[in-house]
Amino acid sequence: MSRIGNWLAAPVAAVLVALCLAPLAVLFAYSFFQVDFVTISTDPTLKNYARIAGSATYRALIGHAFLSGAVVVAITALIGYPVAWFIARRGGVRKSALLTLLLVPLYTGDMVRIFAWRVILGAEGVLNRLFLWLGLIDQPLQVLLFSPVASHLVLVYNYLPFMVIGLWLGFEALDERLTEAARDLGAPAREVFRRVTLPLTLPGLIAGGMMVFVLVVGDHLTPQLLGGASGVTVISAINDLFGTAFDWPLGSAIACTLLATLGLCCALAAFALSRTELGRSLAAGEA
Amino acid sequence: MPDRPPLPLLRADALHKAYGSYHAVRGVDFRLMPESYVTLLGPSGCGKTTMLRMIGGFETVSSGRLELDGQSLLDIPAPRRPINTVFQSYALFPHLTVEENVGFGLAYRGRAGLGGDGRGLDRAAMRQKVATALSTVRMEQMAARRPRHLSGGQQQRVALARAIVNEPRILLLDEPLSALDRRMRRDMQIELKDLQRRLGMTFLHVTHDQEEAFALSDHIIVMNAGLIEQQGAPQEIYRRPDSAWVADFIGGSNVVPGRVLALDAGRARIGTAIGEVTAPARRGLAVDEAAALCIRPEQLSREAAAAPGAATVEAAVTHAVFAGSGWQVELRAAGGQPLSARLGEAPAPGETLRLAFDPARAWVTRGAAAGPRA
Repeated sequence: MSRIGNWLAAPVAAVLVALCLAPLAVLFAYSFFQVDFVTISTDPTLKNYARIAGSATYRALIGHAFLSGAVVVAITALIGYPVAWFIARRGGVRKSALLTLLLVPLYTGDMVRIFAWRVILGAEGVLNRLFLWLGLIDQPLQVLLFSPVASHLVLVYNYLPFMVIGLWLGFEALDERLTEAARDLGAPAREVFRRVTLPLTLPGLIAGGMMVFVLVVGDHLTPQLLGGASGVTVISAINDLFGTAFDWPLGSAIACTLLATLGLCCALAAFALSRTELGRSLAAGEA
Repeated sequence: MPDRPPLPLLRADALHKAYGSYHAVRGVDFRLMPESYVTLLGPSGCGKTTMLRMIGGFETVSSGRLELDGQSLLDIPAPRRPINTVFQSYALFPHLTVEENVGFGLAYRGRAGLGGDGRGLDRAAMRQKVATALSTVRMEQMAARRPRHLSGGQQQRVALARAIVNEPRILLLDEPLSALDRRMRRDMQIELKDLQRRLGMTFLHVTHDQEEAFALSDHIIVMNAGLIEQQGAPQEIYRRPDSAWVADFIGGSNVVPGRVLALDAGRARIGTAIGEVTAPARRGLAVDEAAALCIRPEQLSREAAAAPGAATVEAAVTHAVFAGSGWQVELRAAGGQPLSARLGEAPAPGETLRLAFDPARAWVTRGAAAGPRA
């Protein structure tokens, strides 16, 4: 039986190897090559990694990517919890309608959304005009556009639906009678959330958080078009190295470093979580 | 000097719950005496669970009064009521161990509110209380397990321990035995009653199972369509149902519709399809009103064994089932009136029997169509 199962799984494994692992292996191999004038020499070397380690710019870019990801995950989680809870508590048609509304902006495309935000946030934009008209400010706020504030605002806007979907699935799996039981036992609302709602929706939070984090780290358009001087990201740097600079080995090395750091962070987070009561209960819940 | 009657623990006056235009509970009055075991009995949709949820604080009260020890509960949210619930599905926290489940509520003991003394519990005292509660329900061996690794009966016990450990003034039980098999249900009924006596706690138990209500209660509140049909001691409800509906719902009784012909000193003469009978009657009946004659199956016997003064009825056997201690026999009397009797010997199918009963032990009550609610 299991032998047949193995054979049936073979095509899936083959696709995974061909589409995921093979490109990564190629990338990994390239990271040890070197550009020799206009050709790529395949003599293995660690020079690329040495350059990254020695460059404050690259280290800062990777650090910023992670910081942005963490900040956006935190903000989307804060906004997403009440939204997901609200959606999960609706019945039938209303729930479907709300979920559809949540996803509609995703159909409009990155560029359209980014330019829509430029119209809203610009010096002559909707918000500045409104504030001027209300007399809240004397002259247009420049910080609204081409700043880290602008790019993070739009990153939150862009990826909030992914967080809400993850949390919504978490809430769907949460039995409402359990929160009722917690109230029955005397727990005030804050404690009901901390001891029942949070641990039992944690799988949804992790799923949503992972999606948002990866998407934010990988998004270079939003910071580039809205972040102004702060708009250079590690992804745009990799893009430039592969494109204009024709330094595939260095680009690959940065990509690999990013991946390795990401893996390390996940492992550390998992380890830290496993040391808490929350994590133990989660692990037991999946056992 | 006579003892003053004890004060009720819980008082509900004209309690009413409406969801939009649907009225789940339509003005209900009752008292819960301290240290009593009370059941709310009724078919599904009669409003009994809504009542329980209003007392627990999970539904707001549309109108009426609800008082615990003379203090209104209406403005007190669920977490601050000294009342705990055993939920129908147990609602144990799947991510916590048995011990953590039972200790859950103790962290909030002593918070200001009804029954709180403003002091919390230290860890040692909490652990001691959890251990005591677990041994009360004989689950001390399972303290480190998680709910999913327990059987239905064990989960039930943990749910009980989790509630009683908080020493609530009232323990609410929402159909707690409905998920258990028949045998387990019997055992748990005995344990519940025993527990209530030992703890001297007040239990309010919701069920749709008459047998369960009879087995457990000091006092039964029979509900139908959002109103109380009758309340009283189990024997009272069994022997003297207040309406044909109660007699029918309690079951086990032959309810023969008829009309009151005459009334005299607590007795009524009722005309029915199986003849005219004079029997003890509920108060408040009027001559010519629709009424019902209730005869319990064990009161019917073959005519030969009848005492003098017995009423008789002829009926054809339609079905007979061996029921251990005797035969449960279904019959059809004049006018197609179905009857059931409990006889010592098996009748032949289709045989016409002359059955007798003592009218003094029968009961005349309000007819099905007489009340404002059919």
